[in-house]
Amino acid sequence: MSTCEFSRPPRKSVAQDERPIVEICGITKRFGKVVANNDIHLDLYAGRILALLGENGAGKSTLMSMLAGRYKPDEGHIKIDGNTMDFSSSREAIEAGIGMVYQHFMLVESMTVAENVLLGQTGNFFVNPSEMATRVATLAEQYGLDVDPEARVCDLSMGEKQRVEILKLLYRESRILIFDEPTAVLTPEETVRLFEALWKMAEQGKSIVFISHKLEEVLSLADDIAILRRGIIEGLVDPDCIESKADLACRMVGKEVILEIDREPLSAGKTVLDVRNLSGMGLDGVNLSVRQGEIVALVGVAGNGQKGLVESVCGLRKPPQDSIFIGGKPWRKFFEEASWRRALSYVPEDRLGLATLRDCDMVENVLLTTRKGFVIGPWLDKKRASNETNGLVHKFDIRPGSTQALAWQLSGGNLQKAVLARELYREPMLIVAEQPTQGLDISATEEVWRRLLEVREMAGVLLVTGDLNEALQLSDRIAVIYRGRILGELDTKDKAVADRIGPLMAGIEETASA
Amino acid sequence: MQELIIPLLNATVQSGTPILLATLGEMMTEKGGVLNLGVEGILSFSALAAFVTGYTTGSPWLGFFMGGIAGLLLAMVHGVVCISCLGNQVVSGLALTILGLGLTRFLGTPYIGLTTAGFEKAALPFFSSIPFVGDVFFRQDALVYVSYLIPILFWFFFRRTSLGMSVTATGEYPAAAAAAGLKPILLRYFAVGLGGFLIGLGGAYLSLAYTHLWTNGLSGGRGWIAVALVIFAFWRPGRAVLGAYLFGGVMAFQLRLQASGTNVPSSILLALPYALTIVALILSAWKRKRSDMPAALGTNIEPEG
Repeated sequence: MSTCEFSRPPRKSVAQDERPIVEICGITKRFGKVVANNDIHLDLYAGRILALLGENGAGKSTLMSMLAGRYKPDEGHIKIDGNTMDFSSSREAIEAGIGMVYQHFMLVESMTVAENVLLGQTGNFFVNPSEMATRVATLAEQYGLDVDPEARVCDLSMGEKQRVEILKLLYRESRILIFDEPTAVLTPEETVRLFEALWKMAEQGKSIVFISHKLEEVLSLADDIAILRRGIIEGLVDPDCIESKADLACRMVGKEVILEIDREPLSAGKTVLDVRNLSGMGLDGVNLSVRQGEIVALVGVAGNGQKGLVESVCGLRKPPQDSIFIGGKPWRKFFEEASWRRALSYVPEDRLGLATLRDCDMVENVLLTTRKGFVIGPWLDKKRASNETNGLVHKFDIRPGSTQALAWQLSGGNLQKAVLARELYREPMLIVAEQPTQGLDISATEEVWRRLLEVREMAGVLLVTGDLNEALQLSDRIAVIYRGRILGELDTKDKAVADRIGPLMAGIEETASA
Repeated sequence: MQELIIPLLNATVQSGTPILLATLGEMMTEKGGVLNLGVEGILSFSALAAFVTGYTTGSPWLGFFMGGIAGLLLAMVHGVVCISCLGNQVVSGLALTILGLGLTRFLGTPYIGLTTAGFEKAALPFFSSIPFVGDVFFRQDALVYVSYLIPILFWFFFRRTSLGMSVTATGEYPAAAAAAGLKPILLRYFAVGLGGFLIGLGGAYLSLAYTHLWTNGLSGGRGWIAVALVIFAFWRPGRAVLGAYLFGGVMAFQLRLQASGTNVPSSILLALPYALTIVALILSAWKRKRSDMPAALGTNIEPEG
């Protein structure tokens, strides 16, 4: 999955008499009837990076939120330097030296980097912006976290925002830093830089917890690996003694996982999407076609024009005339005539925003794109919609298995299954799937892959992904996009294709003979 | 020409002052993330409280202070409903306007027609001798001089103090403020209370310096103008000064025009400031550069868990 090579410093060994700075002793946490964490014991050491590996919903974030003082454990306790702590707020945890970088950044967008770092730091009543900036700049330099202290947070990239979060913790002199899926929002280059910063912090004696479900990252980064499964510590693993990734994956999900999927190429049918010389919206003369029965992957580092292409194909932005043809019809004609089924389905990257309404239940969310199928005159047949939704919930095994569950209550994987179920229910002829497995665990990823392969029977799929493995596993052709141009379209039957994608993604064009 | 312009501008500052105070009060409230549509009610109620205090004690300064306290108390009602009881901010604010106007009419009846000494215009030594500027800005009453300091303090508070930064963070992203160890609930109460106090000072100005006389309907829609001006001002105190004096100018101008016996119907002249409100809002939406609207404005802080 990750294409980057890391040059990590050698792992340090724990001295026999070294005491852990944090001891988690028999912690149990329940939410209603669900046991999120069950009798967990775990030690953290200064200068070491512990990876907490587990599927979505395994209880990783819950466990660390208790350490960070956001939740109180129902049973058990946490010791820091041998003293039992009882945090009732994140403030107390911060004071005890524990800081957490959440998946959703806790940053005030309109304020500057320095203001965010120093927010709530009791000091003088009066503040001096230039002095604040200097303080933050000094700290940033010490840990190699490159960010302009006077920039407004809203103008920063995701990677920079993350650095601000880290600076906040460092400024508070946190000794234990917890990172909740930090690489989910980063580009590969930013990931490398983050890892380098993490090693630097560990070198300076910080204890680091890295929550992830990405095996490669965990293996290349961590000094220790703790596998969490269904709220229980499944095992502590030394990354140097791991036989194979598949072995680690097995222990994480508790069953054999197919990280690879069998794909039988189908014979391609008629062209369902034809993009001809599309320019503007960050694109530059893009040509691309998708036929029924095939999956075409659009691969590239995020921000190279994928958004413009997806939005114009899906009808969110108006492309220039005669540049997009869907099902043989010009763009405008297609969207004028398109009905709710046998048309275009869009599986957006933003599951809890563009794809679903967070406070609406499953039936309403299914109706979002299928309502035209449930109208009788001016009325909506909610009973039939509810029955159909129930069918989808069971067919796709969308947990918690109730049609009354609200979108935000679903885990990422289940929400994605719900979106996919809805979109496939429309029996589309073209599917645009944008990062369909981002942030999903292995079993959910496999499920999504399987559905996408199945749907080729009736549709063509445009798969927009940053995950090379996903592109290689699923697609018949891979188009590599760089700065708005398709630099190459590769056939995945060719075994050497994987090696050719990397340079293309980095903008290195192949010579004509290749 | 000078004889015409200077009195008009002088009156502009005077009629702009209550609007300025109310606008800054509402801006303070909104910087903390709470929308208070009760400005009109607070303005009216605090005008009465200030008048009654001034009338009974004979101390205009005490009256001025009590106007602020009355504004603070009434704003706190809104604070409790929205911050602690998680009520809808729009509904609560509208209810507060109705409550404030009703209470004022009810409690103020015995005072109708009475007058109080209040604040008189007094030239500020040295400053008033500056040509033109002195005549416009420094031949005013003491409250106007106080009001010159408030936008500066407001700016300083948000740009140069840690408390101001904390209030901004609460209005932008309460969860982030909480994660930084701040107490967003308390900070919101602070912003609502201080905002109410400032609006109350605006009310006090109306009865103690603008009219010296108690009558019904003293607030006269200035509260609504203040709400609109906050948007026009992009939540920045400098633009609030500009906006408040602009409206003060229109109000002063239409009064003068009415007095001059023009044949334009007075109802049209009276509607002028409100028409300008709409125009100003359209313009500010049109030429939107970068508004400092607090991102969490109007949303309540849901308890965790």
